[in-house]
Amino acid sequence: MKQIGFHIILIIFLCSISANAQLDSIQHLPEVMLTDSKLVHFSKGFKLEKLDDSIVGRNANSLTETLRYNSSIYFKENGYGMVSSPSFRGTNAAQTAVIWNGININSVFTGQTDFNIISPLNYDEISIRSGGGGVQYGSGAVGGSIHLNNTFSFKKIDTTELGLRFGSFATLGGSASTTHTWGNHYLNVGVDFISSDNDYDYVGKNQKNNHGEFLRFSAKINEARKLENGVATWNSEYTYNDRNFSGSLNTVGTDAYKDIATRNLWQIQQKLGAFQTKIAAAHLFEQYRYFPNSEESFYDEGSANTFVSYFQAEVFLLKKLRIHGKLEYNYITAEGTNVGKNDRKTLAAVFLLNHKISEKFTYEINLRKEFLNEFDNPWLFSADAKWKISPRYGIRLNGSKNYRIPTFNDLYWYAGGNANLQPETSYQVEMGQELTFGKLSTDIAAYYISSENLIKWVPGNSGIWEPMNIQKARNYGFEAAIGYFIKLNNQQTLDFNANYSYTQAQDLEKEKQLIYVPFHKASGTLEYTHKKLNVYAQGLFNGKAYTTTDNSDSVAGYTVFNFGAEYQLPFEPNITFGGRLKNIFNTYYENVAFRPMPSRNFEIFLNFKI
Amino acid sequence: MMNKILFVIMTALLFISCSNDDDTPQEYIPAAFEKGILITNEGPFGNGSGNITFVSEDYSTVTQNIYRTVNGTQLGNIVQSMGFQDANAYIVVNNSNKIMVANRYSFEAVDSIKTGINNPRYFIGVDGNKGYITNWGDPNDTNDDFVAVLDLRDNTVSSTIPVSFGPERMVSYNSKIYVAHQGGFGQNNVISVISGNTLESTITVGDVPNSMVVSGNSLFVLCGGNPNYTGNETAGSLVEINLSNNEILNTYTFGTVEHPSNLTMDGNNLFYSLDGKVYSLNITSISLPGNNIIDGFFYTMEAKDGMLYATDADDFASRGSLIIYDLSTNQQVQDFQTGIVPGGIYFNE
Repeated sequence: MKQIGFHIILIIFLCSISANAQLDSIQHLPEVMLTDSKLVHFSKGFKLEKLDDSIVGRNANSLTETLRYNSSIYFKENGYGMVSSPSFRGTNAAQTAVIWNGININSVFTGQTDFNIISPLNYDEISIRSGGGGVQYGSGAVGGSIHLNNTFSFKKIDTTELGLRFGSFATLGGSASTTHTWGNHYLNVGVDFISSDNDYDYVGKNQKNNHGEFLRFSAKINEARKLENGVATWNSEYTYNDRNFSGSLNTVGTDAYKDIATRNLWQIQQKLGAFQTKIAAAHLFEQYRYFPNSEESFYDEGSANTFVSYFQAEVFLLKKLRIHGKLEYNYITAEGTNVGKNDRKTLAAVFLLNHKISEKFTYEINLRKEFLNEFDNPWLFSADAKWKISPRYGIRLNGSKNYRIPTFNDLYWYAGGNANLQPETSYQVEMGQELTFGKLSTDIAAYYISSENLIKWVPGNSGIWEPMNIQKARNYGFEAAIGYFIKLNNQQTLDFNANYSYTQAQDLEKEKQLIYVPFHKASGTLEYTHKKLNVYAQGLFNGKAYTTTDNSDSVAGYTVFNFGAEYQLPFEPNITFGGRLKNIFNTYYENVAFRPMPSRNFEIFLNFKI
Repeated sequence: MMNKILFVIMTALLFISCSNDDDTPQEYIPAAFEKGILITNEGPFGNGSGNITFVSEDYSTVTQNIYRTVNGTQLGNIVQSMGFQDANAYIVVNNSNKIMVANRYSFEAVDSIKTGINNPRYFIGVDGNKGYITNWGDPNDTNDDFVAVLDLRDNTVSSTIPVSFGPERMVSYNSKIYVAHQGGFGQNNVISVISGNTLESTITVGDVPNSMVVSGNSLFVLCGGNPNYTGNETAGSLVEINLSNNEILNTYTFGTVEHPSNLTMDGNNLFYSLDGKVYSLNITSISLPGNNIIDGFFYTMEAKDGMLYATDADDFASRGSLIIYDLSTNQQVQDFQTGIVPGGIYFNE
């Protein structure tokens, strides 16, 4: 059966190659190019939000912070700066994929990304793609995916930026990045770090957040070189995190975690006749060390090397039909204290089709099949459409089948790992509407996700916990986003953005809401600009979330507000400075039960452009 | 709500009676939890608090979270176990690294012990003013385990006895303490014998001794055996030790893949659980596996006065339950909701 599937893909692929193509006679390179263009070209019927640079700059401490205030994703954070896992549309943390320049970087061991170990700085684009992306991005893109992309350009650029940040709890941060182009070259180098004692007060508890110190350093290099018929690119990043894990209201923190990640991606894009082709090779390395006692040298560790290579070809026919075929081969080898040494090979074939029937209507059909690895690999598919009924009203529709393959921890953990696990699968449908009334824009999306074979660790007969494919869940809800911009006069503007989401995520066996999925979440920013001055207020409401599977206990809902201001010097526009007061009402709140979040605190920054 | 009101009234009454009757402590003092069953609930791991559930002796009322209701504060993370000495309950809060001392009948806080212990597991009181606490230290470190000796007059650790890896449950006999070394995050196979402040001897038993009972002059130790995942699986066993000379009298061996736990005793019968079944054995004529009397996976069990009290921890992330069986019919007679992960069953009478 697997063989047949493979041949079907090949035939489709070859057919598209031999199709008699009428092409644009001249294809110019666009000014700014993406390293992962399929995100733009094949996500028309999906909700795709791009975060502004200013948003990232304001919430630069971690990717958690960037997204918490500016999306409907809920984060379960074990105290500020500690392990932070997302819940996208009520799915679990391993069902949110983080995609770096088109490559899935979720951990081989846990299947998830800790959003506090990723620096949001020095990416050119951070995008949120809601809904199933399994066909394009593989395992884990179920609730949605977060895209960290770099772009490149060959127009004249010569900029260097420096930033310094200082805040409460001895928080110190710095960033530097420089971008240059010359001849056929593009080069961008960036570094940034943050360190904090993070010893905030637990509001009203007469306790401090002891043992929560963290440090993060990351460095990125992005290079591109123009070739005769295309371009060669190299993206590289290195991240180091050293964190002590803070305790809770009831426990004293003693443990610590250190992790290193390196990522390298080489791509050659070439135009071969009618085809845009790409050959890519990537290497991802992740290593963690867990110290049960931060004062002692004993640790558990794990490290994984992932090699990715793929070949893709894309053709754009009659200015309306875009067809994309991709063959990807992955090899993962991982070794750890508790998982032994194991590897996994996967071959995936992907077919994407985008058909723009008219200016108003576009539909897409996507298929993926995997081979070689040890699981029953389902066919993954997705279909979507976008219909722009009028300039002010558009509808999106999409449906997909997605999956998540078991992690190395699930399969090989000593003791309890279950080598017989199968992938989690889920089906989903979504309908979205985009409406614009003058300066007001709204986006409302309703979705339904049905998942089965969800992997859950349960106590076995012998008292050992084992993961099993036993849970079924049904998630549904809606998300509303609103944006309003008014120009008060020539010098003043007002900008308002808000998100609200309602999420039902039910364990079908227990008929209870899944733990740590709040029914309600809302966030918003109101910003006022007067010439070079910018002031804003940020608010976040997080509803009550259950902490036990029978919904007998919960962590209370909370509302926090931040207030910030930024000023660009009128006589020296290359200098911007500002600050933010966070949790202005000094609210006590918890994200995870018994793990308080920070008291009122501030941060200030100074940015230079050279 | 009614329970809460009752509580406040009861507690108020207690205060009044206490202050009036200070000089006549022998006199009967009505207390909220004087007669009944106490369940320690570990609580969710990593965060959250464990708590204590009370079921009245006549099974008519259940009260959740009694320590917090009385004192207004949480016990802490992972309420591992509880031990008693005279009127005091010593509540061992493992992950918060402390022992909370409360009156066992009213659950009013009396004291707490936070120094001299490291990863505490169990408490036992002996001879009125001495207590022992088993400590794992770092559960991965096989050389830092100890038993803390507690002076119960001021609730401070007076002495520390280094012991073998993974000291867990204790029983006392003739002022001596018998400590079962289940083995922390690994496995062990000894019983330490402690007398006063010294480790008198060790007795090698089967692998992973997990529960013990004293019957007459005998100590019965149930050993789970090494589990399969260790790569060195060994059979469970029931070991009988003669307490007058600390020598092994009998060893009864289970099948290699059988790993029993939860040994408890009522009268002449021993009870234990194995693979989702509860078995009974007559002490005078032991032959394994004994009679399968009840089916069910239980987290812990205690037999007492013709009843078997057993807890079900469900998925360990929701409220568990206490199930009571009548041992004359082996039928379930009661079922109560408890807190999260009910790990210990105790009696006030």
